Amino acid sequence: MFYLRGCGRWVAASFTKQQFPLVRLSSDSAAPRTPHFDVIVIGGGHAGTEAATAAARCGSRTLLLTHRVDTIGQMSCNPSFGGIGKGHLMREVDALDGLCSRICDQSGVHYKVLNRRKGPAVWGLRAQIDRKLYKQNMQKEILNTPLLTVQEGAVEDLILTEPEPEHTGKCRVSGVVLVDGSTVYAESVILTTGTFLRGMIVIGLEMHPAGRLGDQPSIGLAQTLEKLGFVVGRLKTGTPPRIAKDSINFSILNKQTPDNPSVPFSFTNETVWIKPEDQLPCYLTYTNPRVDEIVLNNLHLNSHVKETTRGPRYCPSIESKVLRFPNRLHQVWLEPEGMDSDLIYPQGLSMTLPTELQEKMITCIRGLEKAKGVIAGINASLRVSRKPPFVVSRTEGYIGVLIDDLTTLGTSEPYRMFTSRVEFRLSLRPDNADIRLTLRGYKDAGCVSQQRYERACWMKSSLEEGISVLKSIEFSSSKWKNLIPEVSISTSRSLPVRALDVLKYEEVDMDSLAKAVPEPLKKYTKCRELAERLKIEATYESVLFHQLQEIKGVQQDEALQLPKDIDYLTIRDVSLSHEVREKLHFSRPQTIGAASRIPGVTPAAIINLLRFVKTTQQRQAAMNESPKTDQCLRNADRLQERQL
Amino acid sequence: AVNKAEEPQNPPQLGHLAIIKPLVYLTLRLSLPDALIRLPSGSRLCTRRSSGAAAPGSGATIFALSSGQGRCGIAVIRTSGPSSGHALQILTAARDLPPARHASLRLLSDPRSGEPLDRALVLWFPGPRSFTGEDCVEFHVHGGPAVVSGVLQALGSVPGLRPAEAGEFTRRAFANGKLNLTEVEGLADLIHAETEAQRRQALRQLDGELGHLCRGWAETLTKALAHVEAYIDFGEDDNLEEGVLEQADIEVRALEVALGAHLRDARRGQRLRSGAHVVVTGPPNAGKSSLVNLLSRKPVSIVSPEPGTTRDVLETPVDLAGFPVLLSDTAGLREGVGPVEQEGVRRARESCNFLATVVASVGAQSPSDSSQRLLLVLNKSDLLSPEGPGPRPDLPPHLLLSCLTGEGLDGLLEALRKELAAVCGDPSTGSPLLTRARHQHHLQGCLDALSHYKPSKDLALAAEALRVARGHLTRLTGGGGTEEILDIIFRDFCVGK
Repeated sequence: MFYLRGCGRWVAASFTKQQFPLVRLSSDSAAPRTPHFDVIVIGGGHAGTEAATAAARCGSRTLLLTHRVDTIGQMSCNPSFGGIGKGHLMREVDALDGLCSRICDQSGVHYKVLNRRKGPAVWGLRAQIDRKLYKQNMQKEILNTPLLTVQEGAVEDLILTEPEPEHTGKCRVSGVVLVDGSTVYAESVILTTGTFLRGMIVIGLEMHPAGRLGDQPSIGLAQTLEKLGFVVGRLKTGTPPRIAKDSINFSILNKQTPDNPSVPFSFTNETVWIKPEDQLPCYLTYTNPRVDEIVLNNLHLNSHVKETTRGPRYCPSIESKVLRFPNRLHQVWLEPEGMDSDLIYPQGLSMTLPTELQEKMITCIRGLEKAKGVIAGINASLRVSRKPPFVVSRTEGYIGVLIDDLTTLGTSEPYRMFTSRVEFRLSLRPDNADIRLTLRGYKDAGCVSQQRYERACWMKSSLEEGISVLKSIEFSSSKWKNLIPEVSISTSRSLPVRALDVLKYEEVDMDSLAKAVPEPLKKYTKCRELAERLKIEATYESVLFHQLQEIKGVQQDEALQLPKDIDYLTIRDVSLSHEVREKLHFSRPQTIGAASRIPGVTPAAIINLLRFVKTTQQRQAAMNESPKTDQCLRNADRLQERQL
Repeated sequence: AVNKAEEPQNPPQLGHLAIIKPLVYLTLRLSLPDALIRLPSGSRLCTRRSSGAAAPGSGATIFALSSGQGRCGIAVIRTSGPSSGHALQILTAARDLPPARHASLRLLSDPRSGEPLDRALVLWFPGPRSFTGEDCVEFHVHGGPAVVSGVLQALGSVPGLRPAEAGEFTRRAFANGKLNLTEVEGLADLIHAETEAQRRQALRQLDGELGHLCRGWAETLTKALAHVEAYIDFGEDDNLEEGVLEQADIEVRALEVALGAHLRDARRGQRLRSGAHVVVTGPPNAGKSSLVNLLSRKPVSIVSPEPGTTRDVLETPVDLAGFPVLLSDTAGLREGVGPVEQEGVRRARESCNFLATVVASVGAQSPSDSSQRLLLVLNKSDLLSPEGPGPRPDLPPHLLLSCLTGEGLDGLLEALRKELAAVCGDPSTGSPLLTRARHQHHLQGCLDALSHYKPSKDLALAAEALRVARGHLTRLTGGGGTEEILDIIFRDFCVGK
């Protein structure tokens, strides 16, 4: 390990293949001596850590810039990870070799899968996380990632230069200027500033600029982005006051125990670091009419209720709950903040009343979510190596849905993933995220380790083999009834029934099936995960057949990329109404599919766009260029080049 | 037909002809034929519909009547997609496909009942050497509505087949490189026109009882789905009220019963109206009912010298110049009469609002100031003296007619023929028969999906059944986005932390 102690507060994780010069980052350093990286990531939150490590995994020399190194891996709000929909995202991030799932498997204090009884497509892996442990483990991982350098520093501005010929736009970002005036150059810059970009904390009627509680907000950067034509908005989100553990009488509350056995988040882990019996319980309590009264009597002290900023509908403050659904008892979960923490997080009690009544904070800005971090990191790195970007579509993952929703439709409230947002929910399950993404992540992005890739390949071929074997075993229904008496199969059917169809019944699993037909099924029960996944595949087999057809249709549209330099307001080759032009200009869809999802973009406009794309492709093919590469918009680029 | 102008009282003065009563404004409004409510291609994605019906361009096999509207000897029905060959085998009850690209005479029969439909020429075009580049079949059937309707419904009953979206054949051809760019030039305009036509058609067809039913069903289903989705996404974390799922179960069950009863009911409540829509409208006592009776050659409406005799919208299917037409007689437009007649006037105005092509404004008498396709007919021309002055010179282009003598009828029929040809002649506007096939296709699809709801203990599967069912209904009613579901969830439940 090679620590660069000489240069201010550098904390280098390792040195890179091409050593950058050891210079102080000061304003007087000459340009050639200024450090140069492939990728710079601004922000050390969930998104920033994923982006930085993903870029480094792809082989880019990466710099992570953050206000304070000791807050990397800090969990600002809920001391938990995952949940319904969000657990899906974590599995997908893990499938691309991201960090958070593995760190959570080392840092949780209460693991529980939600929605157990509602079907494996909507299981929600979730865990209460020990804040301290998570931060420790995350920092250990970050500081030991090859090719990744971590530095403390506040970014004041972006360095803008002339656009490259093959990337049209107003300008390109080629580095950053820090608050102390020093500069760092890079091929790609990723912003994951989260709530810190000119954030505000609001407690009662008091407001002051801040990042996370106790941290500084990023103000200069917000101004630069505004200068470039980005709309910087402010969303709001709340957090509840924490409660001292020893002040709570747990004995009178409902206790919730963790799962036994614990289900790990990561595909690479068989189990989590802690035994179920050593994990901490959660408790459930309810609000009462007195809470309603406090809220209603103090509305005048509450800027939350006064201001017009739109808060998240799904993360309502206790004030909103009381106002919208009065005379009801609202649930409050008491969650541990860590093994040796004295604090309890009362989930369900977010509020903005003044401190003396309750403590409360609000911050916000259009935030980049944690899942996006991985993709941004991968694409920044691919851009450096001049490879086509890695795009996850709506049909491939929750990550794709998230990015498409945020980039195409935008958002007026902090985004939360729900399974109901996902059209192809039955195909995009937590169990198969590796098949969906790991193989592509390895081949197209190079962000996945050899070991993980081999494991996913083995799983994929075993599943395919298992399914075809299950399809090939056919008996009459009465024979099945004899073999597995507990199955509720109807014996009146005369057609032979496949083993795969028998496996669909709730009361049948691979174990009971293998007991009935030991050869050749026995070997598929040896690996627990494989047996469970075969059962899940069988459950959804018939429905998925139809969904696949539709996915094919959507993918056809997604495959038609719109040129990224298209100026919708002025372009003459496409006949579009003014209204449609404005909508396209604002949303800048990447594909024909995304364009057709924008409300108000007519089918006729879509056809015109199609025609335009084909013409452009032909023209470019004629110019001996590779149309595919050039047509592609890059997710990571968009941040920098959009409207520049 | 009796002409109100026969009445001797208040005989018209020639000088007044252009100004008042005896000179009658008859406005004939023509609407587009009862085209498919084919939603514009790609519109499914516009609002992020649930995964009900297949997306355009997907592996689904599509079918449509591709020959024009109106009376014809032969109608051509086309399919495109991987199940085309299968559909051909099923309809011809044959094991083998006919030789490729050769016309063969085959007996088509309904696969469900085995009932013969028609002896038709069939052509089999295996892809990629076909119009769309996919497997295609053409059925050249006899042009009667019963035959066409029968074949379309038979195709709709073949698994994997569905009615085509607007412009979908062309779009597939384009996607498969079968059209060059100049050929596609017109496609956007075509789809635009179709979309507009369909919007009006949808409006017209969804007015009235059937539309009411469909919208009601879609609402119920959306709410039930929202509640199931809420249970999936929030049930465990948040305290949803008791009985959310049970309530959804009850609603879905009731919906299933209602849909089943509707589909079994041969009368179908209100039948889909077919044919071009021609509305006769104008001031009271203008001779509207006389004209309707004259055109339909039967006493459809009661005529009397008393203004305001017709108080309701009377519709009668007629054959005008070879086009199937739904002719509507309406109450005379006037204010300040009794409540019954006022209702009649309201209905008359309403029936004009469904029209596709737009009405030119005829002074204050125009029922709406939108510019719909309009023929201005001045009735009672027999009261004009041959040597006197003609009608007021500042009138828009018009036709003179006497329902009493029949003078001017030929001219009117010729003008009508031109208008009808203009609105019906474009094959892209689709066929009313296909509209009906489409309605049935989606309602049946909805019912089938609902039947998968209950047996499923896996809630994700149950919700999927509701998503598919809702997808079918919203293709008839519009809407169907995910946001709609989330809005209901956040409205009905206190969820989140």
